[in-house]
Amino acid sequence: MAWLFSFILAHQGDAADPELLHWIKERLDQIFGTGPWAVVALMGLVIISIPAFVVIVYLLQAKRRSAAPQPNQGTQKYEKDSMEEFHHRVR
Amino acid sequence: MQKTEKTKKPIYFGWYVCAATVFIGFVSIGARNSFGVFVIPMSEEFGWSRFTVSIAAALGVFTNGLIQPFMGQLFDRTGGRKLILAGLFALGVSTILLALTFHILFLIFMFGFVASMAQGGPALSNTAALMARWFKRKRATAISINAAALSLGGLIMVPFSMYLLQATSWRIAWVGLGIIVLTSLPLAYFFIRERPEDMGLNPDGDPTPPSNGPAPRARELKGPLEVETWRESFKSAPIWQMAGSYFVCGTTTFVLSVHFIPFAIEDRGISGATAATIFGYMMGLNIIGALGAGLLSDKLRGTKNWLALVYLMRGFAYVCLLTIDSVAGLWIFATIAGFSWVATLPLTSSLTADVYGIRALGTISGITFMFHQFGGFGSVLLAGLLFDITGSYVLPFSIVAVLLFPAAISAYSINERKYSVRYQTPVTTAAAGD
Repeated sequence: MAWLFSFILAHQGDAADPELLHWIKERLDQIFGTGPWAVVALMGLVIISIPAFVVIVYLLQAKRRSAAPQPNQGTQKYEKDSMEEFHHRVR
Repeated sequence: MQKTEKTKKPIYFGWYVCAATVFIGFVSIGARNSFGVFVIPMSEEFGWSRFTVSIAAALGVFTNGLIQPFMGQLFDRTGGRKLILAGLFALGVSTILLALTFHILFLIFMFGFVASMAQGGPALSNTAALMARWFKRKRATAISINAAALSLGGLIMVPFSMYLLQATSWRIAWVGLGIIVLTSLPLAYFFIRERPEDMGLNPDGDPTPPSNGPAPRARELKGPLEVETWRESFKSAPIWQMAGSYFVCGTTTFVLSVHFIPFAIEDRGISGATAATIFGYMMGLNIIGALGAGLLSDKLRGTKNWLALVYLMRGFAYVCLLTIDSVAGLWIFATIAGFSWVATLPLTSSLTADVYGIRALGTISGITFMFHQFGGFGSVLLAGLLFDITGSYVLPFSIVAVLLFPAAISAYSINERKYSVRYQTPVTTAAAGD
């Protein structure tokens, strides 16, 4: 029944396979060769850098966004003008 | 001399939505995949057997699979933003609360029910449905980026959990993981928006053409099978063709997730480390495969052809695995299968959106995802059972491999040109008559 156990755990994700986990850890130990805290800090930094990068790009783009017209502005303006013309005719 | 003012176009907001869902998928799948890391330390502290702990994991699998259509329905009714935010918050809090585990029933309840249900909110079937709203021409690409992020999340978050556990204790490691999940909340809050129209944008960031031309009609095109409710979709052939092949996808990937390393060790006689290296290599390739499938499908069209090719490739990989009785066979298998591993996901999701529209997409995707999970669950059980009877993985692997060829035919026979919105042409006379 070992396969049943490994199935249940492996369904939490492919990387949860014990052999694979052991292999990943060995490779990372070889690469970093430091204590676990250093790896935690480094990986934590990589993880947190993803949202930070997104926010930075968004803020850097603020000027371009304000300069560029909204795609629907043309249509909205057209609709607004049409309504004004309609009201003018009614009056 | 006329001076032309050139202003660079800002990045389309849909890409920020995509980036937010990528990070959400990355952390939420990572937190969930890391469960395996906690099994040994928790079992040792409480004196639980591995089977006892696996009850929590098994319940998690069932809950997560069964909840998906309901979460999809919530997505369609209430919107993705609320659902994703609520799901992320519940997942983060429940992950932190796992640090308080004092009894197996607590673990079963918190992981098997609460966390697994919460994960249904930011699940890929929902984020893919969200991407389908924001993108039309680049739909498969956006979904494929999300799919690749899940693989990457597993590969980065799980080792992170291992080191965090080594550096601290399992209780602190759960808290750490929960906090990381919660860090995705601000990003989700600021960037997840329901649809481009809410922000005065068009899908893909396209400009609005003059309203008296024929182009607006083209944008409002509908496929002949576009549905309002998920029930309508199951009355037509394409959803069964896609769900059927997706079922086979589940059977052929899950069975290997569990049995590949034992097969490589016992049937091919290689070391556990080499087997893990080959498996890790295959998992790395699936990121490239997912991204490539989305890009190719958007650039060259013919999503169902790419989908059929992916199933065919995987079938060929299985043939190599079963016929080449050496380590080389395993490497060849890993190379071919690696590219096809996750590639089915963006292709199936985008084709579903192209055929059935986006109104009931959350529910439809949730149901097809359930087919995938059922296929996976059944195949793993069958493979284990047949291994116990025959003492080899050759028979179960052969059975699932054979299924890949009808799956390829099923995908190829989808009449995409007739049903997909991408192939519909605008009726110019109607536009001109306005």
